[in-house]
Amino acid sequence: MSQNFRRDLNREFDAISGSPSPALSARVRAALAENRPARTGPFWMAGLAAGLIAVIVVGVLVVASFNRHQTSVLPGTAPTPSTTPSSNPSPSPAQTPPDSNLPAFVCAGPVSLVGTGSPTVAFVDAVRTGTHSGYDRMTIEFNNGEPGTVDMSPHDGTTFTQGASGQQVTLQGSTGLLVIIHGSDEHTAYSGSTDIKTAYSVLLELRQVEDFEGTVQWGLGLSKTACYRAFYLTNPARLVIDIQNS
Amino acid sequence: MMSAVMEQRPSAMQRATEGDADSFAMLIDPLLNPAYRLAAVMLSDRMAAEDAVQEASVKAWRNLRQLRGDEGSLRAWFLSIVANECRMTRRRRWWSVVKSAEVESERRTDLPSREALTDLRRALARLSPDERLPLVLYFYLDLPLDEVARTLRVSQSAAKSRIYRAARRLRSDLILEEVS
Repeated sequence: MSQNFRRDLNREFDAISGSPSPALSARVRAALAENRPARTGPFWMAGLAAGLIAVIVVGVLVVASFNRHQTSVLPGTAPTPSTTPSSNPSPSPAQTPPDSNLPAFVCAGPVSLVGTGSPTVAFVDAVRTGTHSGYDRMTIEFNNGEPGTVDMSPHDGTTFTQGASGQQVTLQGSTGLLVIIHGSDEHTAYSGSTDIKTAYSVLLELRQVEDFEGTVQWGLGLSKTACYRAFYLTNPARLVIDIQNS
Repeated sequence: MMSAVMEQRPSAMQRATEGDADSFAMLIDPLLNPAYRLAAVMLSDRMAAEDAVQEASVKAWRNLRQLRGDEGSLRAWFLSIVANECRMTRRRRWWSVVKSAEVESERRTDLPSREALTDLRRALARLSPDERLPLVLYFYLDLPLDEVARTLRVSQSAAKSRIYRAARRLRSDLILEEVS
């Protein structure tokens, strides 16, 4: 590369940018002091407390429901099992579609979802996991609508390349699934874990591998190659990914 | 008698990761100047560039755990956040440019007059911000190719290709081997 070209180019860049104001450093320091990163401790404690309360409430409801059904259930009207994750129930389980309305499991190749009425950037505000008879589930909740496009594809092995840093991370398991959420952001409204290890039979580990330029990616570490399906739920907007575990 | 055991002082990165704002400020202080220059070229607006650097610094601070203590990747990581913030700034203000073109032109009075523009600067102005980005990183900030690639989040060969393509639009007789 000609040194003249470099010199001329840099002169133009200098003319465009000038120098930063001397106050920039102090301004950044002040902004940092006002915006301390969220600590994870209190969130864990709040989550634990919320979980305990939820368990107590669910227990009371189950006992009450059981007592009522002992006298009122008619033959052939047994309740349909819920598809809502058991470890972290959905806030609106009644809106979870019955299994018959869910898409079929796909056993090879990529799957894409296209949202309707999607915002420019869909803000993730919760990530949950659960295991059920037949599938392990990941649920990503958005606070302002479903994202424009989601691409999922099987991934060879469990080593994923992280966005920005370019570092490689290896998840638990023997094979993987890559979830790419376009038009999304996971650092504005979400402060939960970005590396979730489960003790499920197939879905072993979930790790955020990118949150950059409006694209969020999660790598999923699986114990074996498994069929999967994905769909949106509404109120609140959720992306649900089920991994077959049987 | 002096103790033979010396306590190892935690690194600035460790302290920053544990929530020490001063340590983080110290780490990114040398990066503010290149970050500002990158933002100013991408946005062609010096005030907006400082705003973008400030906002990017806060975002980096909030997400420092993503780096997992890797101080060697800090510069590329931080500059990629700055570049992303510039893109967000442009997206946010596309409508405000339409609504308040007069205000925008006032903010740009620090740029040279149109008559003073050189051919090279005119050619630069025709590049999109994302085309200018690899040129700024490689030529202006003098980053090595591997760091340009990490900032752009692409492979080294792709980074080289982007630099070459953008530079070719400024100087048509450029050959690929000159970007090395």
